[in-house]
Amino acid sequence: MNCQEFWNTIPELGNVAGSRHLAECPDCAARMSRHRELEAGFRAVAAGFRRVEAPPGVEARLLSTFRRQAGSEYRAPSHRWIPAITWATAFAAMFALAALLVRERQPEAARPAVPHSIELAILQPQADSDGFIPLPDAAGVAADEDDVNLVRVELPRSAMIALGLDVGADRAEEMVEADVMLGSNGMARAVRFLD
Amino acid sequence: MIDRPMEPAPVDTDDELLLRAQSGDEEGFLTLYRRRQAGLFRFALHMSSSTAVAEDVTQEVFLALLREDCGYNPQRGTLSGYLYGIARKLVLRHLERGRAYVPLDTDSDDYAQPELAVLDDPMVDLTRREGIDALRRAVYALPRRYREVVVLCDLEEVDYADAAVALGCPIGTVRSRLHRARGLLLEKLNQERNPRQALGTLKPARCES
Repeated sequence: MNCQEFWNTIPELGNVAGSRHLAECPDCAARMSRHRELEAGFRAVAAGFRRVEAPPGVEARLLSTFRRQAGSEYRAPSHRWIPAITWATAFAAMFALAALLVRERQPEAARPAVPHSIELAILQPQADSDGFIPLPDAAGVAADEDDVNLVRVELPRSAMIALGLDVGADRAEEMVEADVMLGSNGMARAVRFLD
Repeated sequence: MIDRPMEPAPVDTDDELLLRAQSGDEEGFLTLYRRRQAGLFRFALHMSSSTAVAEDVTQEVFLALLREDCGYNPQRGTLSGYLYGIARKLVLRHLERGRAYVPLDTDSDDYAQPELAVLDDPMVDLTRREGIDALRRAVYALPRRYREVVVLCDLEEVDYADAAVALGCPIGTVRSRLHRARGLLLEKLNQERNPRQALGTLKPARCES
């Protein structure tokens, strides 16, 4: 090991692995001695500063800052959770309302079946003596009203079904003649099928 | 009844203390501060020769740590190295501001102007021994890149890995700068001990008369 290799392999103080080279090289031994002296000097300087530290005022100021930050960010968990609780409450209320609405829209329980004869009586159109059947939501046949007009038209038989007359489904598309009673306001009041 | 020896309470690591501090634990913050403040203060003091600067730097380091986006990443190194890194940047900022008034640092490899760095040295009274004073003056007179590595590794005994984090350079660079810095210090101390020998290295001025 030459001098260069010695100093390249042990640049740090305290490592005396190359002690054999030191024993053979007075120059390196002297240089190493100076390095050790320097190391001792470092230790002495560090010892002189060992008790040196930041003044208490620094800790006090930092603590004040920390408490101020903690007060606004960390130390008030109840305040911190307020937004979350508010949102959770809002969502819960929304879901409850939605559940209520869905429940109200569910199909109602099936009503007891009406006997067929009664159903026919209900559905049977009530024609007057002239055979006019009053139309739904119309004023009906005004017997004492002279200001009416009769108009003959052709209607599909499906219109008879709509009024509750018994017509076979296979003939629904056939046309049938009918007299439509129009009131003074031009609105259809009743209809009479001629066929 | 069996007497069991009391196990020592586990000591929180710096990272654990930082997490506690960031979650609002005052005790965690204080423990971390008291563990690290002295080294940071002394580093800033050695670098700047000013207690006021060292005080400001120490405070600013921990204020930076309290910020949520402090930037500390355990993957890159220890918290200690990270704190020294912040302190170093703050010290350099202070030195840059004061460069017009007290040229502490030439940031060159030349070993010049050592006296300028210690004119207003407030730490002279901390030790009386001549040799230690001479070493301190020599450290202060080092170019900044060598001074900081000597202060970190030799005076504060920060390990090379943390020093590399603090200085933002590879460990190999830390080693080489430290080696060079010690050489410069020995040279300077030798000159002070043997001024005639040092003068002998200067080229004699030519006399025309």
